[in-house]
Amino acid sequence: MDPAEVEFLAEKETVKIVPNFSLDKVYLIGGDLGPFNPGLSVDVPVWLALNLKQRQKCRIMPPAWMDVEKLEEMRDLERKEDTFTPAPSPYYMELTKLLLNYASDDIPKADEIRTLVKDIWDTRVAKLRLSADSFISQMEAHAKLDNLTLMEINTIRSFLLDSLNCMYKLRSNLQPGASKGQFKDY
Amino acid sequence: MNTQSYMPVEPGVGMEENFLSLDDILLAHERLPIRIECAFPRLGFLDKSSDTQDIPEGTKMELPLWLSKGLYERKRRVLSVELPKVYREGWRTVFNADPNVVDLHKMGPYYYGLGSQMLHFDSPENPEVAQTLLQTFIGRFRRTMDSSQNAYNEDTSALVERLDCLEKALFRSGQSGLNGFQGWEKGQASQLTASSLVLNYRKRKMTDVQH
Amino acid sequence: MSDALSDDGSDINQDESQEDVMTPAELIAKLEEAWLNEKFSPELLENRSEVVECVMEQLTHMEANLQRVKKGDAKASIHRMEIDRIRFMLSSYLRSRLQKIEKFFPHVLEREKSRGEGDPSLLSPEEFAFAKEYYANTETYLKAVALKRMPPNLQTVDMLKAVPEPCLDSFVFLRVKERQENILVEPETDDQREYVVDLEEGSQHLMRYRTIAPLVSSGAVQLI
Repeated sequence: MDPAEVEFLAEKETVKIVPNFSLDKVYLIGGDLGPFNPGLSVDVPVWLALNLKQRQKCRIMPPAWMDVEKLEEMRDLERKEDTFTPAPSPYYMELTKLLLNYASDDIPKADEIRTLVKDIWDTRVAKLRLSADSFISQMEAHAKLDNLTLMEINTIRSFLLDSLNCMYKLRSNLQPGASKGQFKDY
Repeated sequence: MNTQSYMPVEPGVGMEENFLSLDDILLAHERLPIRIECAFPRLGFLDKSSDTQDIPEGTKMELPLWLSKGLYERKRRVLSVELPKVYREGWRTVFNADPNVVDLHKMGPYYYGLGSQMLHFDSPENPEVAQTLLQTFIGRFRRTMDSSQNAYNEDTSALVERLDCLEKALFRSGQSGLNGFQGWEKGQASQLTASSLVLNYRKRKMTDVQH
Repeated sequence: MSDALSDDGSDINQDESQEDVMTPAELIAKLEEAWLNEKFSPELLENRSEVVECVMEQLTHMEANLQRVKKGDAKASIHRMEIDRIRFMLSSYLRSRLQKIEKFFPHVLEREKSRGEGDPSLLSPEEFAFAKEYYANTETYLKAVALKRMPPNLQTVDMLKAVPEPCLDSFVFLRVKERQENILVEPETDDQREYVVDLEEGSQHLMRYRTIAPLVSSGAVQLI
């Protein structure tokens, strides 16, 4: 999957905005939004929040986890534990990039947050590679991957799945009796 | 987004071959050491080292994999195929000791592919060959993964040069995952670029005009 | 309609094949589910043309309403963005199906041929036409560039053998939507034993597609 498609999915997450305009309820196919009143916070999907922000029609309120203290705690926990700790949000990487790129003036300590999220990401991806290697070398048939986010899976997906496929075929060599059709006639 | 409009057929990897895979076609041209077990009348021209009309029984020569597979029969001994050196016991010991030291490109480049194909020919060593292929793959996996995941925008030729063809394909798929992510992180996806098809088309038009 | 955009479109979904009446929001969720499953499953899944048709209907309906709105309407721009997003998902879904049809065409057609009378069809009528045409074109092409120059006994290619089948033993990533008990995990090596796992709701797993393929079509798990 293209990372942009993962970002597309992340854009469905809701975020609180404070609009500076008023508008009645909007009946979208995917559900109702609004009403919008100046100064009153309202939940909208990220794709709309970013659009409104770019047109200077709202202020975005950062999600609760997007906070230096909370992220520091998560980073420390992530480094301490061998397993994956619950991610700040299933789309933490995408939301950080989107919100910091388009609304950094609404997010206190944006630079620190960027660094912290990157630290958490790097720690998790290093763990992911470790587990991929042990999955292959132990020839496991099943792994539980709770807490992994889609973007994390996506960075390793095609490599890991292709490798597992190759390994499967090399392993079927060990049972030559099961091989289908010795010499195929096309 | 996967904008590739041409999806090449992947190699079969194991004992199977994919008829329409370019990799497998190249693999089928690898030469194998064989021994003729019954005289081949009027096929002397195949053996360039002699000028007899027939190939006598007992001749040792090299034939490509596709031809060896075609002529080989379990019941009637037409020819016997020897294991290429890299699959024999001496090398198997090396692989079992440390698969990472071997330059599989030089020894292959179809180490896994050809090794799997060798299992079509009866040999008491087959189980060990199959086992070594699998263990070598697993033993080298970590390195293939790390090099493919850590080299962004770098010259990767040094990392790739010792990889077998199959590992190289995996390296590329790891790289595309990494490059995709890092390109996204830098926001390259939001910049529109002309498709390579369009660019090539323009070039072609220019040359058409010049002619 | 006095206010075109106040119509929430809940009049849709009178399709009899639909067991329950879905809200438009549920319909979009269904499309997203089908999109991701199709993207990640190694084989072509059953077509979901009922979802595709309903989504198309929703889009046409919404677009017709938007025609009647004057330029610069704040709501209209929000609606257009939503339409674009849904359209993207829809095209991506259909495209990934076409890609698989191109990759596995002889097997896809074979499955369609051997399908029982009442069984649901793998392909939509349009996809079926596409697959047949793709088959014919490939054959004609192979004949023109190579086969007709071969000795007469070598002038045919068995497409079913020449084109690789989807590998159902591929691994997939999945998230569990409905709890499942006793899923059998087959051993990978001779010294391992088979064992069973319970798939808890919300948990995520990496395992062979073959093991959980029925759960994908029933909607109990979602490929990710």
